[in-house]
Amino acid sequence: MAARLMRAARPARTTWFAVTVQADPSELSGPSRPDALARLAERHEVRVIRAPGGRGSEIAVRAADGRTREEVRALKQLLETGEVLVVEGQPEGRRTALGGVARPMFRQLTRRGPR
Amino acid sequence: MRALCWTGVNEVSVEDVPEPRLLNRQDALVEVTASSVCGSDLHLLDGYVPAMLAGDVLGHEFVGEVVEVGPDVRERRVGERVTVCSIIGCGRCHYCRQGLWSLCDNTNPNPGFQEKLNGHASAGIFGYSHAMGGFAGSHAEYIRIPYADFNAFPVPENVPDAGAVFASDAVPTGWIGADLGQVGPGDVVAVWGCGGVGQMAALASLRMGAPAR
Ligand SMILES: [Zn+2]
Ligand SMILES: [Zn+2]
Repeated sequence: MAARLMRAARPARTTWFAVTVQADPSELSGPSRPDALARLAERHEVRVIRAPGGRGSEIAVRAADGRTREEVRALKQLLETGEVLVVEGQPEGRRTALGGVARPMFRQLTRRGPR
Repeated sequence: MRALCWTGVNEVSVEDVPEPRLLNRQDALVEVTASSVCGSDLHLLDGYVPAMLAGDVLGHEFVGEVVEVGPDVRERRVGERVTVCSIIGCGRCHYCRQGLWSLCDNTNPNPGFQEKLNGHASAGIFGYSHAMGGFAGSHAEYIRIPYADFNAFPVPENVPDAGAVFASDAVPTGWIGADLGQVGPGDVVAVWGCGGVGQMAALASLRMGAPAR
């Protein structure tokens, strides 16, 4: 498994990250497209095509790093549900000193994957 | 409020923690009146699920009363008694529309870990580690419910808390066991393990036509 994680460690230039969104391609192109999508397109090559089987659209982003993947998911969530779920600020017990130090890394691992 | 927190491998403690608040407009807050211990809590307790942090609130099978709703909640009302699905669905992604709640694309804010391990991430689950979204659990006085219109279900008056609590997890888990086993009229069914889920698998089998003896 370690080898698998290592291989996955860098986004290759040729690798696309894609999500399927319940939205018509026409809502995702042209001047009325969501701001978040326009911002993504400033930094990345972005491709929007009709998804097969009446599933809406595919938004594909080339060479997406962890932050970009998070942004793409947030965009999908916003389009499909109208909001982006927040998990910060929930009840929690005492965090240990080690937990506090390890937390950013831990969060990176669970949220964006190991890279 | 008081809440049962995971503090380390095979260690839990009841701690004073801040009360939950509405974090999204489609959230509701529920005052927990019954919260059951599931067999799968053991996987979290003993460290088998590695994405736990000391201080995480456990619990994913519960009943309670709605005490607050966000401005975009349309169906649920303050004062309603509800049972809440352990697995959180958004109700609107492709998977949710197919009834495949546990594959919801939109309720796990921490999909990276599972994607690398399994190729795809599951939905978020209450009190079930950061790999399942890092949602605070129900072994607490209050809990926050995301997408409340899709995840909280009113409980009929004549069903007691102790009956309704199983609808969160044990009933659907037992049911899918019987369903996958294709139980039909006349089948003799053996259930291994007679905990909450096993008993619900037996009840589901009866419903699907296995004869009672
Ligand atoms: Zn469970
Ligand atoms: Zn969904």
